[in-house]
Amino acid sequence: MIALVVICAFFAIASPQFLSARNLSLLTTELSITATLAMGMLLVILPGNIDLSAGSGVGLLGGIASVLVFEHNWPAPLAMGAASVTGIFIWFCMGNLIVRQKIPAFIITLGGLLIFKGLFWLVIHNSTIPIVQGGRANLYSVLTTFYLPPLAGYTLATLIVIALVLEKLRARKARQAYGFGVEDGEVLFLKLFLAAQLIFLFVIVTNKFRGIPLSAGILGVIAFAVYVLTAHTPFGRYLYAIGGNEEAAVISGVPVEKVVVGSFTIMGAIVAITGFMQTSYSGTSTTTVGDLMELDAIAACVIGGVSLKGGRGTVLGVLFGALIMACLLNGMTLLAVSPEFKFIARGAVLSLAVWMDVRLAR
Amino acid sequence: MKPVVLQAENITKQFPGVVALKDVSFDLRAAEIHGLCGENGAGKSTLIKLISGIYPYGSYEGDFFVHGQLAKFRSLAAAQRAGIAVIYQELALVNDMTVGENIFLGSEPRTPQGLIDWHKVYHEARVLLQKFNVEIDPSEPVAKLGMGQKQLIEIVKALSKNSNMLVLDEPTAALGEHEVLTLLDILRDLRNRGIASIYVSHKLDELFAVCDRITVLRDGGSVAAFNTEQATKAQIIKYMVGRELGELFPRRRSKPGAAALEVEGLSVTDGDFGQRVLTDISFSLHVGEVMGIGGLMGAGRTELLMHLFGAWGTRLSGSVRLNGRELRAQKPEEIIRRGMVLVSEDRRRYGLILDKTVGFNLSLSSLAKLTKNRLIDEGLEFQKNNHFFQSLRVKAPTLEAPVAKLSGGTQQKVVLGKALMTEPLVIFLDEPTRGIDVGAKLEIYEIVNQLTDAGKAVLLVSSELPELIGMSDRILVLHEGRIAGEFDRDEATQEILLAAAMGQAHVMLT
Repeated sequence: MIALVVICAFFAIASPQFLSARNLSLLTTELSITATLAMGMLLVILPGNIDLSAGSGVGLLGGIASVLVFEHNWPAPLAMGAASVTGIFIWFCMGNLIVRQKIPAFIITLGGLLIFKGLFWLVIHNSTIPIVQGGRANLYSVLTTFYLPPLAGYTLATLIVIALVLEKLRARKARQAYGFGVEDGEVLFLKLFLAAQLIFLFVIVTNKFRGIPLSAGILGVIAFAVYVLTAHTPFGRYLYAIGGNEEAAVISGVPVEKVVVGSFTIMGAIVAITGFMQTSYSGTSTTTVGDLMELDAIAACVIGGVSLKGGRGTVLGVLFGALIMACLLNGMTLLAVSPEFKFIARGAVLSLAVWMDVRLAR
Repeated sequence: MKPVVLQAENITKQFPGVVALKDVSFDLRAAEIHGLCGENGAGKSTLIKLISGIYPYGSYEGDFFVHGQLAKFRSLAAAQRAGIAVIYQELALVNDMTVGENIFLGSEPRTPQGLIDWHKVYHEARVLLQKFNVEIDPSEPVAKLGMGQKQLIEIVKALSKNSNMLVLDEPTAALGEHEVLTLLDILRDLRNRGIASIYVSHKLDELFAVCDRITVLRDGGSVAAFNTEQATKAQIIKYMVGRELGELFPRRRSKPGAAALEVEGLSVTDGDFGQRVLTDISFSLHVGEVMGIGGLMGAGRTELLMHLFGAWGTRLSGSVRLNGRELRAQKPEEIIRRGMVLVSEDRRRYGLILDKTVGFNLSLSSLAKLTKNRLIDEGLEFQKNNHFFQSLRVKAPTLEAPVAKLSGGTQQKVVLGKALMTEPLVIFLDEPTRGIDVGAKLEIYEIVNQLTDAGKAVLLVSSELPELIGMSDRILVLHEGRIAGEFDRDEATQEILLAAAMGQAHVMLT
């Protein structure tokens, strides 16, 4: 939290544009893309695996959809559907390889990283493929260019805040009924108040530019789905159990193989969605789309308190981690930091985050 | 009288909110084995951690004296320099290295060029092993050794650093009967060489077999010190629990009913190397019955349970029927659904998700039954969790306490509760009372009684013969993967079982 404030303050002072509505809107889109991928990464890391192939996959699946639209005249929804199915299938297969052949996820997905990158370049013949036909906008291109109208933004924000308050109160009541400790009522009120303020602030700022970006909506839906999955379903419990102690999970009757394959399969779908957003954001499918995105996703998880050994991590933490990474990247771009130093800074922040995590855990 | 080598005077150690030790005094003399016993949470581990320097000087009140001089250990290394070596329950050996490499790990002899002098490593390792009568080849990889041999290596390693005080924390928790005997012999031999040992154990038989004196801790205070010759087990138990214990094994017989689990001609190989581990095992377990399974370490007891539970080995032949129906399920998750559940001997490894809460662990095996619209019904989950939390008297502050911080007995109850929540017909208990105190043991025995009363069947593996005889209705003894005998509770004695376990069914041991 402090780190985020420091980073934002630094960039706000160093570059006046950082806090401009236009830049914050861009930042939101960038954040949405990284964070969406990080949601999938969370599902893979919780049971103690990792996915290094996500970045290449982002390029590949975005590329497949582009080629289908531009070269084969497919309608965008159909092309994206086909690419999604491909993604889900590939990740389903990788998951199976990992659990049935007992090959470490690190190795399988490292292979995937290289193979998918090669396939990607084959698919787009090392060139640049537009995502639209003859300049007409389609579902693919609007992913990162569509904005919710201001009124819709406010309505949505109000609904979310109401839902949040109701849910918190319900959970609090339930906990009291079970005799668990609950936090102080005033603290809860303050937290909710702060959350509501942040939500509305976000809407006001984005409305000042064009409105809430559609990509933020996509992130919202996916993050909510992953939250429900991890916190309120047996599947989610199993993810934590496997990451916490796989042998005990087996003996406890956790269907370890199904759960791990499931987490990879969902990752396939999320990689596809991220691929469409990232390709859409860059406007065309080119060889560099998706480069190193797996590392940003992993970094977002780690900064957000996810243990790489598995068993520990939450959706909220990962969103937070993604926000820090996105602010950092965006801020450095504004300051025209050279690419060399961008890499160094990203690495330094990642190492620093893990170091602090280890220190605080003691 | 022998000189005092280590003396603790009025030691008090506090943790935030708890007094772990209060005003404890204790002395260890040269060439003696001093037993330390007490229930879990009595302060044994804390005392050991103070003696070994893990809790540094200044973090406690009172004084330690080594050879009459005030000791101020600030670290484990400082205590080691003063000649104190500690052997922990979890052994600190590197499995992939050889015995010799392990013994000299961190203090390898060097050649003049600064490289490791491998000849010297193996030569000196051999000399050391011979000196302590340990018959193990120093070039053997540690991974190939059994638990008992690993323990001996650990002791030799400690003594190679010229220690003259040895602290053993539950050294026999993972050992079979004959390995225990070897260990006790070695300890007596060390005593004759002038080495003083502190022997921490729950097992009174061992304490009485090997110790010169026994100190009992209860609730953080030292309540009594005995000369072993003048003490009785009943006395010690009374001091440990602070109350008289009625019967130690309160097994109530239930009427056996229909066959719950029938095993016919089962032969199993170890999946990795295809080595045959179980041969032609047949038995039937009835509703309302506890069947004990005895045998030495490596006889195939745990393997039998793990295989029946779908978690180990490849079946060559044989059939298994559960509740009258052929059991074809292959995986634990399916077998649990069919009504059979396993409580493993190694609860930290196979039982618990340590960094999660009591509630998380309790409901883990039953989540599929606790859902509404595919989401976990938290109200129902709480009711179920709370039911077992209360009925098993889990001694944790709340369901949300992390299991890692609970005592062994309490953790075991959580594992048991998790198994029982699946509403099984057959329950496998593998060493259910290992490493837990007398009070918690009694509670576990009582739970076993309730289970058979409620029409369930229990398969009980135990290395402690009195427990096996005390708690089983019938006992099956395994020897090298085969059934070496089946005994009724009334005809079984420790001698008969041990003879069968050693493959001498017809020779009585005296």
